[in-house]
Amino acid sequence: MYALFHKLQRKTRDESPFAIGSPALIWQIVFFYLPLLLMMVSSIFILGEEGDIQGLSFENFAPLFSNAHLSIIFSSIILALSTALFSLLIAYPLAHFITFKGGRYKTLMLCFLIVPFWTNLLLHVYAWFFVLEREGFLNTLLMHFGLIQEPIRFLNSLFAVMLMMTYYYLPFMVLPIFSSLERFDRRLLEASTDLGASWRTTFRKVMLPLTLPAVRAGFFLVFIPSFGEFIIPELMGGDKRYFVGNVVSQYVLGDETGGMGAAFMVLSCIALVITVMFIYLGFKKVSKMLLKGMK
Amino acid sequence: MRKGFLGKFSSLSIVATSYLFLYLPILILIIFSFNTKHFPAPWDQFTFKWYKELFSSSALWVSFFNSLFVASISTSLSLLMGIALIFFRAQGGRIQKTLPLFYGNLIIPETMLAISLLSYFTLFKIELGMPTLIVAHTVLGLGFVIPILYTRYLQLDHRLTEASEVLGASPLQTFYKITLPLLRPTLLATGLLIFILSFDDFILSYFCAGTKIQTLSLYLLSMLRSGISPVVNALSTILLFFSALFVMFFFSPKVRSRIL
Repeated sequence: MYALFHKLQRKTRDESPFAIGSPALIWQIVFFYLPLLLMMVSSIFILGEEGDIQGLSFENFAPLFSNAHLSIIFSSIILALSTALFSLLIAYPLAHFITFKGGRYKTLMLCFLIVPFWTNLLLHVYAWFFVLEREGFLNTLLMHFGLIQEPIRFLNSLFAVMLMMTYYYLPFMVLPIFSSLERFDRRLLEASTDLGASWRTTFRKVMLPLTLPAVRAGFFLVFIPSFGEFIIPELMGGDKRYFVGNVVSQYVLGDETGGMGAAFMVLSCIALVITVMFIYLGFKKVSKMLLKGMK
Repeated sequence: MRKGFLGKFSSLSIVATSYLFLYLPILILIIFSFNTKHFPAPWDQFTFKWYKELFSSSALWVSFFNSLFVASISTSLSLLMGIALIFFRAQGGRIQKTLPLFYGNLIIPETMLAISLLSYFTLFKIELGMPTLIVAHTVLGLGFVIPILYTRYLQLDHRLTEASEVLGASPLQTFYKITLPLLRPTLLATGLLIFILSFDDFILSYFCAGTKIQTLSLYLLSMLRSGISPVVNALSTILLFFSALFVMFFFSPKVRSRIL
């Protein structure tokens, strides 16, 4: 081990200092940026059978500016936004409770939050089938209490998709908020209360502004992957609900539609980046609003 | 007084509902893995027969070991490359400018990366299988390892490394005896995290595994598509048990104080 390190080090010093740091960079460029670049290239170039470039054209994009395609992008954005919002609504009170009221059960509660996060997604999808099925738990319960006469079709609906998305992405939201609240200086809360601020004012003027960066981080951690999510909509939403992930994969895996799939991916990534920028600006505005009138 | 009670009650009920939301499906799933009859039928009798059936299925074990293999190799690869990069930085190399390259993994949804990798491999006529799967999972791991390791490296007490250098240790010795031990907790934590992420990963496996290799996620998908079967419940129960064990181990005070 030592000898190897020495050799490497001498090499690093004498020949190219870049050599030892480079594997990660090369890996990242070759297997992350080049594939993405390829998608961009193949969306605007017409590729021949052998992968040779035959010409430049935007014809792949033309069919995408149709209502059907644009509404898929739009509904993916809405899906991702509402997933992030719902999980924020659950996550903040939850993280707050665990941090401030958890006491000696804090670690245990955190553990129970992480267990689902460290388990296969498909397993959770499968588990929800038992709750949402026609003869599943929820219907049985509702019928037992006489709230409904006929079983409701929960599966294959937007409701099921939203439920599953919020369920799966919840920990991505809770963990950043939790660690931010953990580091929060509690003397600030005491100071605020001592100076006569109500619980509401303390939350709005002290706690929320200081944890807003974590909320933003969690928001992006949920928003970005759920924009591309395709297996949850496919399994919970039935056949008729299309989001960006499903459509791109169908086009790319199809025989003749590879170029269009690439174009659609590029288009939806652009839409994603624009939305992310807007959300970022939105958070900036919120934090400005919260801090307004403070001296 | 009354408001305080109400506030306490409401926050407690929010928390209780959240945990119910998280664990209700899982509990039902576990209960029905011990039922003699298939799902829509009500509870009948306690049995282990689905577990026996599960353990005799060879496809399951093959996919399980595939997942294990891919996760271990890609975790070690990304950790090694991460350490090498930090070593390079410790020798005075500049990586600040290249670091933003690794934040790309957070901005591009995994689905997009997986699809791009798939067409990349297809273009160069690389057969999909274990190697492509490992490559893809290593990319996933790097996106976590490098930012986390680098942030921790910057937070280290650099007076220690300076002291070691002043006292005559070679840069290599300093790295091996000071920097690495200081980074060990982070290495362990990130290693475990990306191992789990890779082991449970579905999206990259779905696109980059090809038709010959099956990981646990893909096996689960094929079983899911063929409908509800108590064998899947048994499998899920075992997987849940192990991830709970993992989490408990990781967060137990003893381990926590030793490695974190």
